[in-house]
Amino acid sequence: MAEQLAQKNPAQEDPVQESLVQESTVRSEAYLDIVWRQFKKNRFAYISLWLLLPTFLIAILASALVSNQPFIFFDGDEVLFPWLRFIFNPEEPVDFFFNMAMLGLIPWAVAAVWTNRAWRRRGMPGRRRALLVSAEYLAVIVAFSILFLIPGVRPTNKYAARSFHVDQFRSNGEKWGIFPPVRFGAGEPDIESQFQPPFYRKPETSSAGLAAYKDINDGDLHLLGTDNIGRDVLARMVYGTRISMSVGFVAVSIYMTIGLIVGAIAGYFGGVTDMLISRVIEVVLLFPAFFLILILVAMLGQSIYLIMIVIGITRWPTIARLIRGEVLKQRSIDYTYAARALGASDFRVIFRHILPNSLSPAMVAAPFGVASAIILEASLSLLGFGVRPPTPTWGVLLQLALGNYSYWWLIVIPSVAIFCTVTIFNLVGSGLRDAMDPRLRI
Amino acid sequence: MAMLPTLFGVTVVSFCIMQLAPGDPLRNSLTATGEQGKSAMRREAYLIQKRDLKLDKPLLLNFRAFHDYHEPLRQAAFFRGRSEEEIVEHLRRLVLDPDSSEHAARIQYLKSLPFDDFDSRLSDPRKHARLATAIRGFIQMYCEDVGIYGVSAAVELLTSADSDLKLKIGLIDCVDMMVVEAHKFTYSRNPKESETPLVMGVWKTWWDREQENFPPLDEDRGKVLEEQLATMSGETSRTRLFELLEEEYFYERDDMRFFAEKLLGESVLAEKSICAVVLNLYITRPLPTQVPLSIDEERVRRVSENWLAHYEPRRDIYQPTLGRKTRNILADTQYAHMVWRLVSFQFGRSALKSKEFVSDKLWTAFAISAPLMIMAELVIYFVSIPLGILCAVNRGNIIDRLLSLKLFLLYSVPPFVAGMLFLLFFCYGDYLKLFPMDRLHSEGADDFGFVRYSLDYLWHACLPVMCLSLFSLAALAMYARTSMLDVVGQDYIRTARAKGVTRTGVVYKHALRNAMIPILTLLSNSLPALLGGSVLIEVIFSIPGMGMLGWESIMQKDFPTLMALIYVQAIVVLLSILLTDILYVIVDPRISFAARGSS
Repeated sequence: MAEQLAQKNPAQEDPVQESLVQESTVRSEAYLDIVWRQFKKNRFAYISLWLLLPTFLIAILASALVSNQPFIFFDGDEVLFPWLRFIFNPEEPVDFFFNMAMLGLIPWAVAAVWTNRAWRRRGMPGRRRALLVSAEYLAVIVAFSILFLIPGVRPTNKYAARSFHVDQFRSNGEKWGIFPPVRFGAGEPDIESQFQPPFYRKPETSSAGLAAYKDINDGDLHLLGTDNIGRDVLARMVYGTRISMSVGFVAVSIYMTIGLIVGAIAGYFGGVTDMLISRVIEVVLLFPAFFLILILVAMLGQSIYLIMIVIGITRWPTIARLIRGEVLKQRSIDYTYAARALGASDFRVIFRHILPNSLSPAMVAAPFGVASAIILEASLSLLGFGVRPPTPTWGVLLQLALGNYSYWWLIVIPSVAIFCTVTIFNLVGSGLRDAMDPRLRI
Repeated sequence: MAMLPTLFGVTVVSFCIMQLAPGDPLRNSLTATGEQGKSAMRREAYLIQKRDLKLDKPLLLNFRAFHDYHEPLRQAAFFRGRSEEEIVEHLRRLVLDPDSSEHAARIQYLKSLPFDDFDSRLSDPRKHARLATAIRGFIQMYCEDVGIYGVSAAVELLTSADSDLKLKIGLIDCVDMMVVEAHKFTYSRNPKESETPLVMGVWKTWWDREQENFPPLDEDRGKVLEEQLATMSGETSRTRLFELLEEEYFYERDDMRFFAEKLLGESVLAEKSICAVVLNLYITRPLPTQVPLSIDEERVRRVSENWLAHYEPRRDIYQPTLGRKTRNILADTQYAHMVWRLVSFQFGRSALKSKEFVSDKLWTAFAISAPLMIMAELVIYFVSIPLGILCAVNRGNIIDRLLSLKLFLLYSVPPFVAGMLFLLFFCYGDYLKLFPMDRLHSEGADDFGFVRYSLDYLWHACLPVMCLSLFSLAALAMYARTSMLDVVGQDYIRTARAKGVTRTGVVYKHALRNAMIPILTLLSNSLPALLGGSVLIEVIFSIPGMGMLGWESIMQKDFPTLMALIYVQAIVVLLSILLTDILYVIVDPRISFAARGSS
């Protein structure tokens, strides 16, 4: 549905605008600069682009902000690092990825400043530098992930065998530790405080025969209340950001890739290929997307990775259709003939010359796609077909309140989070669309 | 005509979804790695559904008519004719001497069955007991899958002189699994003349065998029976007929002579039908088709005869002509059967215990969903277009900015979030109970008058419709705005203004109609979204419509219903696209179907 807005891009079918598009592609070096200038003029879009930064930071730094594991803990006779074990052994691979992103943040920042300066001295244009620097970050994350997946490289300590939370910390004795700001874990149950509203304070002492033991977070404030088994909602929301973000981005990358390749092939080769692909696109678009995804997820099993893949394989036709239209137009422009006359292969013509020039409708659709993937994930979880229970997502919180509306905070908080994220992505998308709209460019 | 390939694609996708259906429960329990208890369906229920949906046929191409089933059936019957202990004993012999031609053939056959690592299970004697159970189970499935294609080979083997007793017992067992209903003892609900040879053939076989056991009837009894038969054949209501049979007319065993002779002799169709019913009611197991493992030669011979009586009148089915065989390659497959069911809108029965007709279920759900959908579409179009125009007319000033921003925020609210928030703020709690929580009618709404009933309905439908329409409404209004702006910037609008047409005049007379054209296309876009999105809205508001039906069928793994739902929704969308195309032509005279041609 979000792609509907993207289709508004008049560069696709309106012959009047075609000349303008051509003009812009001729000056292709300046095209993105123009887009950027236009984008900055749109105040809402520009602000939302900056708002994406804290959203990403929350996702990346979740483990450092919210965790019941202290960074450093002195238990009377030795110093422990429980947090390290925690970030290197998460239950969900997504968490591992984000933890690596968190570890890589500072090394990358240092490297980025340094390489950026070097490149600027060499006279590299700013846009290219920005691209390379972001690529550096990805490389750092991947390198860290691979590095720490090698057995034996991960730092270990004596807490490898024990869980810190229910550990036997007697309340007396000399102990100190450095804790994250919020001292609750996303999957830390607490039988005595189920379904507590926001600003509920965890009791100082537990009464169930465990009085002699003290949790590190006893007496802390559950800022956003607790859920059905007493887990902190704030912690689940923060970790849910990671799931939502990764579902959004991975699903969109999957269907963008498929859509770009299939659309380019259909548009470039035409004839029977085009007809076959167009029919397939039509057929997939006929089925109500949400229902189709629901069936596939329900039948194939519940996991976020499956959701990403299923969204990916059911959503590509919209992108393919956009790209096909654009490629059809680019195919008959002189530079394509020139490239072919110079002896470039079909592959090279498509991926080096035509595709970069037909990306704009797909680029506009991407932010909307991320937003709709986030919505989809939440709605699947709401219906109970999403992730398996211990994984924290926003939709699961909503599901808890589905039967009973007295748990208002379980509805309002995830709703607000979903709304804000979706709005941010939609605003970026609409800003991009307006910026790429040649009619507004003067 | 261009829709045909699309339709074809729709059936392919539906077919693929059908393939996700959980497998045979028997197979799941037999394979070592089978996920047991995954499906709560019983074997029997599964079998009925399997036969109903033709899941025992090959997927796409059926070459079974050309396959020679003599050898596999000989092997299958060899095992089915033996008890599990005997099979274990034989397995031991197979392991000791796997190379003799007889044993090699047997092992080859067993390997063609879908075992998990058959070799290791065969070589380990401790696993032989379970393997024997599995062999019997898999052969059962094999026979059920072969179905009618193996019957002629089996009957030939059964009648050949080479077959020993155990093989014959096994063969009878196999044939019994291949054929669903061996003998047709009675006519169907509406008797047809074409059924007569089958029914009469069955009873003739029985009568030839049993004739001497029935003494001749006396005159008086004959007359009474004649009268009763006349009453019964005059009876039109079937329930009344069975009431007569169960409560008023009682027959002795000897009376059967009368009915048998009546049926086999000269009589009209109605009388024959009644006679068959009576005979079937009073004779238990006239022609047994099953045999236990330990049994004497005489009984086996008799049951074989019963099977021959089944086989002979159906010879043309079991030994089809070459033309039919060739046709069956494509026609008698899972895919072909499914396409036929979809095209003719026969969706069969639900896989749930209630065994309701899927089409009934769909209609009930559709009757609930459709008004909501239509209302939502109306709201979408009647609210969004004026809003879009309002924005476009006031382009750039404060009204446009505020409205656009609001629409944009609205666009970012997922329908289910809106639904839950509405319920939370407007329905739940003590102070703001503006709307009902769920369902579409109050309790006891059936007794209301028409006006009150409709008002009650509207009151209940208010929130769901709002939720359904919010998202598309915002999208469409924004679209209407840009579309209008596009048109307002055109030359002919400037010309009209220059001519002296007023501002409003230009907007409503010249611009509006042209701006409507692209908006129309969105009708076909918003409908799939509405159909899909209704799952969430209906679950949240507990409305038993299409969405809820879909959700429940997924939860209960009711595949016939699911497939029908998917298919019907796709067809609805297809039709809406067609409708959009037609509307296009009506609204915009510049466009004609002839000119659109390739697009």
